[in-house]
Amino acid sequence: MTLAENIFENLRMELRRGCLTLAVLAQLRQEYYGYTLRKALASRGMEIDENTLYPLLRRLEAQGLLISEWREEDKRNKRFYRLSADGQEIFVRLLKEWNDINTAITNLL
Amino acid sequence: MELLERYLNAVRRHLPWLRQDDIIAELRANLEAQLDDKEAELGRPLTKEEAEAWLKQIGPPLQVAARYQHQQYLIGPALFPTYAFVLRLVLAWATVIYVIASVVTIAAQGLGAEASAGISLVHIALRLPWIWIINAGITTLIFAAVERTGARFPGKIYPLAPMTPPWSPLDLPSAGAGDGDWAKPRSFTRALLEVFAGCVLLGWLLLVPHHPFLLLGPGEWYLHSLPYQLAPVWWTFYWLVVCFNIFELAWKLVDLARGAWQRPINRARRLAMHALALVPLCVLLAAPNHALFLLKNPTTDAAAHGATVASANKGVLQAVSILVAIVLLQLLWGIGRASLDAYRKRQAAK
Repeated sequence: MTLAENIFENLRMELRRGCLTLAVLAQLRQEYYGYTLRKALASRGMEIDENTLYPLLRRLEAQGLLISEWREEDKRNKRFYRLSADGQEIFVRLLKEWNDINTAITNLL
Repeated sequence: MELLERYLNAVRRHLPWLRQDDIIAELRANLEAQLDDKEAELGRPLTKEEAEAWLKQIGPPLQVAARYQHQQYLIGPALFPTYAFVLRLVLAWATVIYVIASVVTIAAQGLGAEASAGISLVHIALRLPWIWIINAGITTLIFAAVERTGARFPGKIYPLAPMTPPWSPLDLPSAGAGDGDWAKPRSFTRALLEVFAGCVLLGWLLLVPHHPFLLLGPGEWYLHSLPYQLAPVWWTFYWLVVCFNIFELAWKLVDLARGAWQRPINRARRLAMHALALVPLCVLLAAPNHALFLLKNPTTDAAAHGATVASANKGVLQAVSILVAIVLLQLLWGIGRASLDAYRKRQAAK
């Protein structure tokens, strides 16, 4: 990887990091477990590596933005996540922030 | 699937002990669902090679497990600037304290053995990196503990969590305060006063040998009654100090005549003065037989006062050694800062 590619990759990762949280919060207004959430996000154009998504779900839950529940589905125990009340509030604020940034960038271009 | 079980077991080994069952159960559910999808797509179970390629694509167990760790860094970005600042202070002060303590130790062991003193200086230099490593290690451990505590109890331990003490721009030192008064241009009155003070000091210095009471006060009469006298090396020291003052006074007079007093004193000149100040002190250290004080009548007084003179010589030489170490460190510090500034300016000019 050249230096320019390396710099681009680092900047791309930084740019995506915040967006991933927003995407996950947006998707979890509906209940999902890890793998189906990943598929749902990918089907909407937001590919997330499993090693990023699954730990992220746990961090967001530890921060009180998600609530989870172990439940059996298709004869397997799975952990289902959905947005908590605090998560809903934070999501609305983050979404506003995202829209402001998006508008600002659009104005700049 | 046996390969998946082996993979999950390998991940488990690197997970936090308390949460590993829960994490592995969730990871297993997700990976099994993914595996079901893959097999449904193919219409058959994965071959060993396909399973291997799939698990390799997920990532090495250590890296997968690392993502589940609460904290993946010793000192986070919020605390790091404070850590870097404290680390620099700790290393600087550790160096100063260590060098002074070492010089004092060498002086206390006896200045007669120059060869062993030389070896000790080499030992001091060789031990210095260890002093830095130990101090840096301790500082890093303390900050890592602070970071960990802050992460474990977020927002609960003030002021560890924010680590930003209250401050105001009004409390900041004035511009150029790093160089003190030296960096500011002087007024004509100040330049004139400096010359006047230099003349008075020089006059006083020249009068001291003829009128010792100017230095010693009433102690002069008391000293006459003592069986001790100053060694000849003090005359060399005295004349070097006089020369130093004449040189400095002449420089100030030239400055005054040329109008150069309006410019701040440059750094090279300050460093040169600093280096010159070392010369008289080194002359004292190099006194023959390390004798700064002698007996007026060695034949008669040696038995009664020989030990006192030897003890006084040792004590004063130790004090001079410490003084030389401090002046030398200040000089090295000044040279280091000047070199860094010069390097920074060269880099900025590129």
